Amino acid sequence: MTYARTVGHRGATAAVLVVGGGALATATWIGGEHGLALGLVGFYALATLAAFFWSGRDGDVAAIMRVGGDERQRRLDLEATAYAGLAMAVAAIVGAVVSAARHHGDVGAWGVVCAVGGVAYVVSLGVLKRRG
Amino acid sequence: MGWGTPRKGIGWKARLTPPWGDKHAFHVKNRVSELRTVAGLSQGELGKVLGVSRQTINSIENGRYLPSLPLALAIARNFDTSVEDVFIAEGE
Repeated sequence: MTYARTVGHRGATAAVLVVGGGALATATWIGGEHGLALGLVGFYALATLAAFFWSGRDGDVAAIMRVGGDERQRRLDLEATAYAGLAMAVAAIVGAVVSAARHHGDVGAWGVVCAVGGVAYVVSLGVLKRRG
Repeated sequence: MGWGTPRKGIGWKARLTPPWGDKHAFHVKNRVSELRTVAGLSQGELGKVLGVSRQTINSIENGRYLPSLPLALAIARNFDTSVEDVFIAEGE
């Protein structure tokens, strides 16, 4: 184990926003909602600029946004990701239950999300256990 | 109090006891702030020497974060002392 600090890249979070926002805006445009697509482009452009400038600051959040930082900052990122995943899992399970009640037992897309989350957890646990 | 200003004493207690209790639980105090002050280093300078952020040094000194064993060893070696001299377990 090492405690070495990694610098990361200032454009890491900005790149995620460009790719994700670009994909969403393109899909919205293809879906025929041109006004909304242009609005999304503007929103994600501003978010990308904000992320790029924030990533250059000295602080825990900036280090995490650069996908860098030291052991404590990486642990913060990991725990925040775990809590976010827990919140998403609860939302997906509640969505599946509500969907089953409303649509004669059909859990719909919520069921797929739950299955992906459950399988990913089991596989990750197995791999991480082997690593020690 | 500025970021580089050391606190008095040997730092706050870092509680290792989980909420449900543990018969092997104990507290860990540390002397990082004291040793850093004697060495005439700011938190940022110590962080740079050790390769961690100023915020992490601050968290360690205030007992909010327990460093990994490699980082604890690096801290101790930086001050030419042992880990047990920097990190003191209480209530074992």
